[in-house]
Amino acid sequence: MAPNTSKSGKSTPKVSQKLNSVEKIFIKYRRCDSPQTWWIVFGVVCLLTAATRFYKVGEPEHVVWDETHFGKFGSWYINRTFFFDVHPPLGKMLIGAFGYLTGYDGMFPFVKPGDSYEGVSYLGMRVCCTAMGACLVPFAFIIVWEMTFSLPAATLAASLILFDVGLLTLTQYILLDPILLFFIMGSVVGIVKFHAQREKPFSISWWAWLCFTGSMLSGSVSTKFVGLFVVIYVGLHTIKSLWDLYGDLNNSLTYVAKHFLARALGLIVLPVVLYFVYFYIHLTVLCKSGNGDGFYSSAFQSQLEGNSLYNASMPLELAYGAEISLKNARTGGGYLHSHIHLYPEGSGARQQQITTYSHKDFNNKWLVKKWNEEPGDWEDDDPVELVKNGDLIRLEHVPTGRNLHSHREPSPVTKRHHQVTGYGENGMGDVNDVWRVEVVNGEEEEVVKTVVHKLRFVHYLVGCALMSHNKQLPKWGFEQMEVTCNPNVHDLNNLWNIEENVFPKLPNSSFEIYGPNFVEKFLESHTVMFQGNSGLKPKEGEITSQPWQWPINFKGQHFSGGKPRIYLLGNPVVFWGNLVALVCYFTLCTWNSFQIKRGYSISPNVRARRDKTLEACGWLVLAWGLHYLPFYAMGRILYFHHYFPALLFSSMLTGVILDYLLESLPSMVPQYLSSSVYPWLTGLFYSTLIYSFYLFAPLAYGMHNLDPSFENSTVHQIRWLDSWEF
Amino acid sequence: MDTGVRNRKNKSSPEAEKAIKGKIEEITSVDNHNMLKESIEKLKHLNENINRDSVCDGGPKTDTTTLDRKGDGESAPDTPPPETAPEDSLTTPSPTTTTPSTTTTTPSTTRTTESTTKPSVTQKSSARQKSKNAAKSAAAAPPLELSLRLDGMSVFLFVLAFITRIWKLETPKGIVFDELHYGKYASLYMQNTFFFDSQPPLGKQLIALAAYIAGFDGNFKFDRIGTPYDPVVPVSAMRIVPAFFGSLLMPTVYNTMVELGLSHYTGALAAFLMIFDNAVLAQSRFILMEGILMFFGVFGLLCILKFRRFYHQPYSVPWFVCLIIGAASLSACVCVRYFGIFTFLLGLGILTRDFWMMVGDRLVSERQLLGHFLTRAVIFITIPVALYIGCFYVHLSLLYKAGPNDNIMTSAFQASLEGGLASIIANQPVKVVHGSQITLRHTHGRTCWLHSHDAVYPVKYPDGRGSSHQQQVTCYSYKDVNNWWIVKKPEVEELVVTEPHEPIKNGDLVQLVHGLTSRALNSHDVAAGMSPHNQEVAAYIDYNVSMPAQTTWRVEILNSELSDGYWHAVESQIRLIHVNSSQALKFSGRQLPDWGFRQHEVVTDKVLDQEDTIWNVEEHRYTRTEDKKEREKDLLRSEMIPMERKNLTFWNKLFELQYKMLFNNQENVAGHMYASEPLDWLFLKRGVAYWISANSNAQVHFIGNIVTWLSGTLSLVAYLGLFVLYLLRRQRACYDLPEDSWNKFCTFGEVLGIGYAVHYIPYFLVDRTLFLHHYMPAYIFKLCMLAAMIEHGHYLVSQHFKAPRIAKLYLGAVGVWMVSIVYVFWFFAPVTYGTTDLTADQVMSMAWRETWDLIIHKQ
Repeated sequence: MAPNTSKSGKSTPKVSQKLNSVEKIFIKYRRCDSPQTWWIVFGVVCLLTAATRFYKVGEPEHVVWDETHFGKFGSWYINRTFFFDVHPPLGKMLIGAFGYLTGYDGMFPFVKPGDSYEGVSYLGMRVCCTAMGACLVPFAFIIVWEMTFSLPAATLAASLILFDVGLLTLTQYILLDPILLFFIMGSVVGIVKFHAQREKPFSISWWAWLCFTGSMLSGSVSTKFVGLFVVIYVGLHTIKSLWDLYGDLNNSLTYVAKHFLARALGLIVLPVVLYFVYFYIHLTVLCKSGNGDGFYSSAFQSQLEGNSLYNASMPLELAYGAEISLKNARTGGGYLHSHIHLYPEGSGARQQQITTYSHKDFNNKWLVKKWNEEPGDWEDDDPVELVKNGDLIRLEHVPTGRNLHSHREPSPVTKRHHQVTGYGENGMGDVNDVWRVEVVNGEEEEVVKTVVHKLRFVHYLVGCALMSHNKQLPKWGFEQMEVTCNPNVHDLNNLWNIEENVFPKLPNSSFEIYGPNFVEKFLESHTVMFQGNSGLKPKEGEITSQPWQWPINFKGQHFSGGKPRIYLLGNPVVFWGNLVALVCYFTLCTWNSFQIKRGYSISPNVRARRDKTLEACGWLVLAWGLHYLPFYAMGRILYFHHYFPALLFSSMLTGVILDYLLESLPSMVPQYLSSSVYPWLTGLFYSTLIYSFYLFAPLAYGMHNLDPSFENSTVHQIRWLDSWEF
Repeated sequence: MDTGVRNRKNKSSPEAEKAIKGKIEEITSVDNHNMLKESIEKLKHLNENINRDSVCDGGPKTDTTTLDRKGDGESAPDTPPPETAPEDSLTTPSPTTTTPSTTTTTPSTTRTTESTTKPSVTQKSSARQKSKNAAKSAAAAPPLELSLRLDGMSVFLFVLAFITRIWKLETPKGIVFDELHYGKYASLYMQNTFFFDSQPPLGKQLIALAAYIAGFDGNFKFDRIGTPYDPVVPVSAMRIVPAFFGSLLMPTVYNTMVELGLSHYTGALAAFLMIFDNAVLAQSRFILMEGILMFFGVFGLLCILKFRRFYHQPYSVPWFVCLIIGAASLSACVCVRYFGIFTFLLGLGILTRDFWMMVGDRLVSERQLLGHFLTRAVIFITIPVALYIGCFYVHLSLLYKAGPNDNIMTSAFQASLEGGLASIIANQPVKVVHGSQITLRHTHGRTCWLHSHDAVYPVKYPDGRGSSHQQQVTCYSYKDVNNWWIVKKPEVEELVVTEPHEPIKNGDLVQLVHGLTSRALNSHDVAAGMSPHNQEVAAYIDYNVSMPAQTTWRVEILNSELSDGYWHAVESQIRLIHVNSSQALKFSGRQLPDWGFRQHEVVTDKVLDQEDTIWNVEEHRYTRTEDKKEREKDLLRSEMIPMERKNLTFWNKLFELQYKMLFNNQENVAGHMYASEPLDWLFLKRGVAYWISANSNAQVHFIGNIVTWLSGTLSLVAYLGLFVLYLLRRQRACYDLPEDSWNKFCTFGEVLGIGYAVHYIPYFLVDRTLFLHHYMPAYIFKLCMLAAMIEHGHYLVSQHFKAPRIAKLYLGAVGVWMVSIVYVFWFFAPVTYGTTDLTADQVMSMAWRETWDLIIHKQ
C-alpha cells in the first residue's frame, strides 16, 4: 500500500501531467494481473511492518506491565520450578524457550513493573515476541487476498492492522498476546489457504495446509483458552465446506467420508495430540517444588522435588490409633486445625475453635479412634484394626485432647451451616463427636487409604458433612479459614484426604506408585486452571473494563508508568472506522437480502461482486462476533486487551467493505469524476491513516515530555476523549 | 437452509405443481371472476404460511387433509402466473368439498365452527383416556353445538386443572417458601409502605388486589418460612390468583399446540402432562409468580400464532385484536418478572419471521409493507411501554409511605415518602449556611455517609507504603453520630450560625469540621490506603511536621439552577473539589480492612465527572449556642420545610427506581442448601424444600413428576437427533418425510425448541443462586415438545409399519405411559399438597434419588 500512497501523494501537484501514468498504475494495482505486482505490494507491507515493529523494541529498559508475570514464568521454565497459572503452558514455554536460546539465564526476579533490566539479556525474548506479533500484518494480507482476490482490499486490511497503535503496543513486549494473536491469525490463514486447495483434494499442499491449520489451532488453545473461539470458527468453516461436499450428489458417500476423516485427523486429532504434548513437556520440565504447589492435591505434590511429600513414606492404610493430618481436597484447601482458643461469645457454643490452616503445623494432628473405645483400652498386642468405608469414628485433636464435635448451632460466618468445635476432656466427649467416614466412589468395607482416597466425614446425629471453604474467620479466629458442618452432604467442599499418617505398627510404603500418572496430572491441572480462572472475579467496588467500551476505544490501559510512559490505546481512526464499516456491512447485507427476497433484478456484475464481498464479510463478521460477544457473558475480570483478537477481524472486514465501496463509487459519481475519484479517495484514506498513526505513535513508542505544565505538547493535543488517562 | 431445500424439492416434483393448479381451479369455480385475483393472492399467502393450513385441517383422519397438504410446501414465486389460471378454471369443474381456500374467504366465525369438527373426535377419545365425565359431553350432537364443544375441551382442561390446584388450597396454613416475600409485599401494598424489590411489580399487584378484595389489612408479619398464618390473612384469596392463572395455562397450551399445526389429541396431551406435573402444580398453588408468568407468556405466544391466521385480512378487527392482546400479554409477562423478556423476544421473533415471509410476497406492495411494518412497530412499542410504565405508576402511587428498605434510594426519593426520612428532615432548614451541621450522603450507588472517627491511618500498609497517620475519613453505611460535619467558611472563626446567615453558594470555598472530633476534612498528596493512585482523605491532625493543612474545598452544585445557586439540603447534588489539588471527593468503592473497621474508603480523584463523586446533604440543622435560643426560634420559623412529603415527579421516581432495580445487586443467598445448577435441572437432580410442618413430617417439597421430566429431556434429544438425521438425508436428496410433515416438524421445532433454548440457556450465564423453579418456563416448552414428539412418533409408526396393529400398540404404550404419569403424580401428591402427615418410612420411600433431600425430622 505504500507504493500507492506515495504515488498518489506525488500525483497531487502535477495531476494534469502525470494523470495517465498514475491511472495506469492504479489500474494495474486494482486488477492485479501479474504476480509481480502482488509481490511488490506484499513486500512493501512486510518491510513497513518490520520497520514499525522493531523500532525502539528494546525500550523501555524496564519491566513493562504483565512482563512481570510472563517473564517470571519464562524464568521458571528455565529454572524448572513448578508454578501455577490460569493459562495453558505453550505461550509461557515459548517465552522460556526464547529466553533460553538467546542466553537469558532465568535469574532475573521480575518482581514488579518498572524494575530495571540492567545487565539482563531480555532483548531476545522481546524480539521474538515482537517478531510473532509482526506476522499479523502479512497474515491479514494473505487472508483477505484469499477471501476476495482483491489487492486493494488486502492492502487496506493489512494497513489498518499495521497502523493501529494498540496492536503495536500490545505486540512489542514479553506477553502472551503476541503469541496468541499469531496463532489465531495463523489458524485463519491455514483454513483459507486450505480452502483454496479445494480443487486438488488430498494433494500434498492440501495436506500441508490442513496440518498447518491443525497445529496453529493447538497453538492458540494452548496459549490462552480464548483460543477456543478460533477453534469454533475453523470448525464452522469446516462444517460448511463438508456440508457442501456432502450435498453435491456427484460425490459418493465414501468420498465424503474420506474428506471428513481427513479433516477430523488434521483438525481434531492432531491438535489434541499436540495439546497433550505441550502439557507433557510442561509437566516434565517443571519438576521442582515452587510456589504453585499448594494449589494441587497431596498426590500431585508428592511428585515435586523439594516438596515435603516428595519421596515420603508412610502407611498406606488407615488404622485405628493412627495420627493423621487431613487436607481439604478442594483447590487450595488447608489442613484441619485446632488450637486452645475458644469461639467468642455470641458465635455458637463457647467451645474450642476448629479451622483450616494452610501451613504444616503440630496443631494439625488428629488421632483416629473408634466411636465407642478409647485408645487406652487397647492392648499393645491387639491386632491392628483398619478403618473401613462407612465406619463410625471419632477424631481427637492430639495437642489438646478434644474431639471433633458438631451440633445444631449456627456456624460463625456461614450461618446456614452447623458449628464445628473441639469438645471434651482428654478424649472423653459425647455422642456428638461421632462421624461416619465415607470414601468417595468407594466399595463397601473398603479400607481407607492415605492420600489416594477422597473422604467425607458425615456427622452421625445431625447428618451434615464436615466442610471447609475459603471464607476467613474474623480476628478472633486468627483469620484462618472457617470449618463448618454442611447440611448439603453433596457439596464438593466436603471432601478431605489424609495427607500424613503416622502409625508405627503398619509398614511404611512409598507413594511413588500411587503418584498420579500423566493423564491424572493433566486432568488435575485443568480443574485447577478452570477454578483459578473462574476465581478471577472483580472485587467489590473494583472498576473493571466493560466489553461495550472496547470497540469505541473508550479507555486504554497503562503499560508503563515510568519514563518513558506507555499507554495501550487503539488508533481511534481505526477503531471508529471499524464501527462505521460494521454498520455499512449490516446495511448492505439487509438491503441485499431485501432485494433478493423482493425479486429485484440486479445486474449479474453487481451481483457477483456483492456476493463475493458479502461472503467474505460474513466469515469475518462471524469471527469478530465469536471473539467479542462471549465476553459479555463472562463473569471474570476483563481488560481492554481482550478485544484485540476481535479487532483484527474487524479491521479485515473494514478493508473488504472499503474496497467494495471504493469500487462502487466511480459508477455513482458523474462521468468526468469517475476516473479520478478512486485514486483520490485511496490517497485520502492512506494519508489520514498514516497521519493518525504518526499522531498516536508516541503512546506506543514512549512519551517523554510529560510535564503537565507543557500544555502544548502533542500528547495533550491528542487527548481527544477525557477518558483517556495518559 | 430450509427454504433452499424446499426449492430444490419443488423443482424436482411436478406433481406438486399440479396440485397447486388444481387448487386454483377450485377457487375459480367457487368464486366469480371478479374475485379471482384476490383469491389467488390469498392462496399464495396460504402457501407461504403453511401453518395456517395445517391448523385448519389439523385432524389426521379426513380425506381433505391429505389432498390439501400436497400444496402446502410450495413457495410463492414458483406458482403459475395469475393470467393462466382463469383458462384452466373453465375446463375443470371443482370438487364440492370444503377446501382451505374457502375457509380463508369465510369470516372467522365460520372458521371456528369448522375447525371444531375434528376436535369432537379428538376430544372424545382423549376424554376416554382420562375421565368418564368428558365422555358424556362428547356425545354426537347437531353441528351448532360443535362450536361449544371446542370450548368444552378447553373448559374441561381448565376445570380439571383448577380442581387439582384449589383442592385444600388453604393448607398448609403456614408460610410456604417465597410466600415469605410475595405475601410480605402484598401486606406492604395494603399498608402503602414502600419496599424495594428488583423484579417488576405486576404479579405482586395482582396478588395484592386479591388480598385487598378479600379484606386483608396487611397486619401480619411475614417473618420466616413456616410461620402459621393468622386467621386475618386471606390465604385462599391470595393463593387463588396463581391457581387461577396456572389453570388458565392448560387451555392456552392446548390451543397453542393446535395453532402450531399439531393435532387436538396432542394439544390435550400437552395440557394433560402439565396438569399432572407436580412441579407445575406446586408453582401455581402457592403465592408464587411462576403460574402468572407462564400464563402470560404462553398466552401472548398463542395470540402471535393466531395472528398468522388473519394474514389475508389485514387491519381487520381480529387482526388487531390478536396483535394487541399478544403484545399486551407478552409485556405483562415482562412486568411480572424481568426474565419474561425472553418470552417477549420469542414472540417478537415469530412476528419478525412472519413479516419476512410477507416481504417475499410480491403481491404486497412496498408501500403496504411499510404500513405493515409501522403498524407492528407502533403496537409493539407503545403497548409494552404503556403497560410497563402503568404498573409502575400504580406501584409508586400506592406506596407512598416510608418503609424498611428505602435507604437504598436517594435522599430526595426518601424525602418524597411519608414518614421515614421525611419526618426526620421535617423542620430542618433548607439553605446550608456557615455553621450548618450536616450529614453528607453518597448519592448514587452504595448508601453511605461521610464519616470520621477517633482512629488514625496505620503508619505503614502491608505493601510497604506509608500513610499520613492522620485521622481516618470513611464512608459508613449506617446512621451514626460520627456522620455529622459542620460547614465553615474559611475566613470565619466561630462555629455558630452567624447573623445574618451566610448561605453557601455554588463555587464557594468551605471547610468541613467533624462534629465530635473537631478536625477538618483534609486531603494531600499521599496515596490512599486501598487505591494507591488516588489521594488520601483524612481529618487533619497537626503533627507540626512538613505536612501543611489543605482543608479548603470548593462546593460545586450540579443542579444549582433548582436552588438559584444556593446549597440546599436534600435536593442539591454537590461535588467537593479539593482546592489545592483540584481533585474531587470520591467514594472509591473499596472496603478498608480491619484497621478501618471494614468501612468504605473515601479518596479524592482527578477525574471529576463520575457518579461516585456526587454527594448530598441529608440531615441538616443549624449550630446554636444556649444563649441564643430566642434567635433560633425566629430562625426556625423563618425557614422551614413543610411537614408533608416533598413531591418528586412520577418520572423522577420511576427513573430512579429503574436505575436501582437494574444496577443494585440485591444480596444474593450464596450457597443455599437447595440451590441447584442449570445442568441439574435436566434430570431433576434436586428439589426444593418449601415447607415443613412443625409437628409432623408433613411437608411441601417442590419436585417434578420424574416420568414426565425424563421423557421430556429424552424428547428434546430425540427431536435434535431426528432433525439432524432428516437434514443429513435431505442434503443427499432423500426425502423421508413428505413436504407437509417436514414443514410441520420444522414449525413446531422452531417455536418449541427455540422457545426452550431461549428460556434455558441464559441461566448458564447468570451469576447468582438458582433454584429449580427458575426452570419452569423452559419446562413448559419441553412438555409441549414432548407431546409433539409423541405425535410425530405416531406418525412415523403408522407411516413405516403398514399394519395398523403396530400403530395401535404404540398408542397402547403411550396410554400405559400416561397411566404411569398419573401414578407418579398421585404418589408424590402428599409432598406437593403438604396436607398429609407422613411417617419417616413414607418420606424415605419418596426419595427416589439419593440427591432428593426430603426432610425427616420426626421419627
